[in-house]
Amino acid sequence: MSDLNRRKLLAVTGMGAVAGSVALVAGPASAAVRRSGSAQEPVVAFVEDHDSDELRLMVGERELVVHDRDLVTRLLNAAGGF
Amino acid sequence: MSSHREAPEMAKDPVADSTDVYAFVSPDKPDTVKIIANYIPLQQPDGGPNFYEFGDDVAYDINISHTTRARADITYRFHFTTKIRNPKTFLYNTGPIENIRDETWNRPQFYKVTRIENGRSVVLGRGLTCPPVNVGTRSTPEYAKLARQAVHTRGKRTFFAGQRADAFHVDLGSIFDLGGLRPFNKAHAIPLEKMDGINSVQAYNVHSIAIQVPISDLTRKHNRPTDVMSRSSVIGVWTDASRRKSRMFDSRKGKYVGHGPYVQVSRLGNPLVNEVLIPMAEKDAWNADAPREDKRYAKYVDKPELAGLLPVLYPGDTFANLRAYKKPRADLNAILLTGIPSGVVDGFQNYTGPIESDMLRLNVAVPPSKDENKLGLIGKDAAGFPNGRRVGDDVVTIELRAIAGVTIPLVDKDYKPDGAASAVEDGTSTDPKTVMGSFPYLGTPGGGYQTKPGTTDSK
Repeated sequence: MSDLNRRKLLAVTGMGAVAGSVALVAGPASAAVRRSGSAQEPVVAFVEDHDSDELRLMVGERELVVHDRDLVTRLLNAAGGF
Repeated sequence: MSSHREAPEMAKDPVADSTDVYAFVSPDKPDTVKIIANYIPLQQPDGGPNFYEFGDDVAYDINISHTTRARADITYRFHFTTKIRNPKTFLYNTGPIENIRDETWNRPQFYKVTRIENGRSVVLGRGLTCPPVNVGTRSTPEYAKLARQAVHTRGKRTFFAGQRADAFHVDLGSIFDLGGLRPFNKAHAIPLEKMDGINSVQAYNVHSIAIQVPISDLTRKHNRPTDVMSRSSVIGVWTDASRRKSRMFDSRKGKYVGHGPYVQVSRLGNPLVNEVLIPMAEKDAWNADAPREDKRYAKYVDKPELAGLLPVLYPGDTFANLRAYKKPRADLNAILLTGIPSGVVDGFQNYTGPIESDMLRLNVAVPPSKDENKLGLIGKDAAGFPNGRRVGDDVVTIELRAIAGVTIPLVDKDYKPDGAASAVEDGTSTDPKTVMGSFPYLGTPGGGYQTKPGTTDSK
């Protein structure tokens, strides 16, 4: 089972809605596979505090708050490589 | 100004800048409430080739609270869409625009209006057409006709969205030059010769969203109240504008693309609250907050900076009583943040409960005045500001006099206002051309061709 398949995302939609908050359990590093419910539109990812495990994703008119230290670390590593 | 360019960040984003809100019951249709929300301040009528328009990337809301929660119980939301009919030309119009559906208007704008109540959204209109701006004598020769074509009625509700004349008036040049009021120039700490006020908004246009809806559309019991003293006769009104939380510049399209939810960037209830009472460092945060969170700003209403400045700017005995008054300004707190409870003004109240929140409060059971007093409630006319706000209400004078102490006796019978408190004004008045007696109540916007540039002197 892929890393992403084990994750459950909770989205709160609509204007003015409180952002959804999700705690994710990081799995072992492996090639990610897109699942059927994955986003089909542009996504903006925002890490405000590099010391936290929080990642904000803007997709459509939704904002998802994801807590995943592993994912945040991989983004930080990617961002720091340039 | 009322709220034109009132906050540092918002001053950079005029398309989302709420400038004025009006809410009133008028004699021509006394069973309806009219709410006008203005945006995009200080439009020069000759501001082509890219004239002013609503933002396609902005959500514009008119909010109504009819409970004591200071929350939006009802929202009218407006989303705009702009089209380019002929991408090969630089022209806003390729010939005279004689009808709002004319193909000669190259950049028409349309909107969708949605009504939201109790979480249920109902789209009331799609593809409603705005009028073009008033380009000039050749391009928009019968502008009043174009504006009438852009008045859309859906059931018992009527909508308009487009350019109008700005009916607000204020002497910005003097007021923001160390609190100067030209008619009182000689009494200022830096005296100058006495002058008439100069209306800094004269001849500028705004973009208005106007609704005319049955009173029963907005009230708590969805009826038309007749008891002025009943809580359910009062509604709270404010407007806001929201942008997408994230914006990325798309170099291929040459414009920003939004992602994520809409978040509030501008709001407005009572005129001049953010402009004059909220400190500069907090103005943009205030714009992003909801009215129900205004308790954190109440200290600036209870002890307004301007009330402390007036005795300094106009020294001597001009504001001696105001200078000596040290109590929190319960009068201003009631007028601006809770509404005036019963027992303060005979036969009147517009109290919305104890939650301090900047809303324009309208008691819809107060009959409209056939002979308006521009000073509203302090002029013994309970149909005017701060009971809602009519287009002709002189809110600058009303609020100046209130801050100067004229309303303190409403809550503190021992206080005697200074003589200057009931005389102070900026010396400007409503330009009659900016007002109409029927929907949408703001006058025909100034035309580009017809505009003559003003004068300035840096000496």
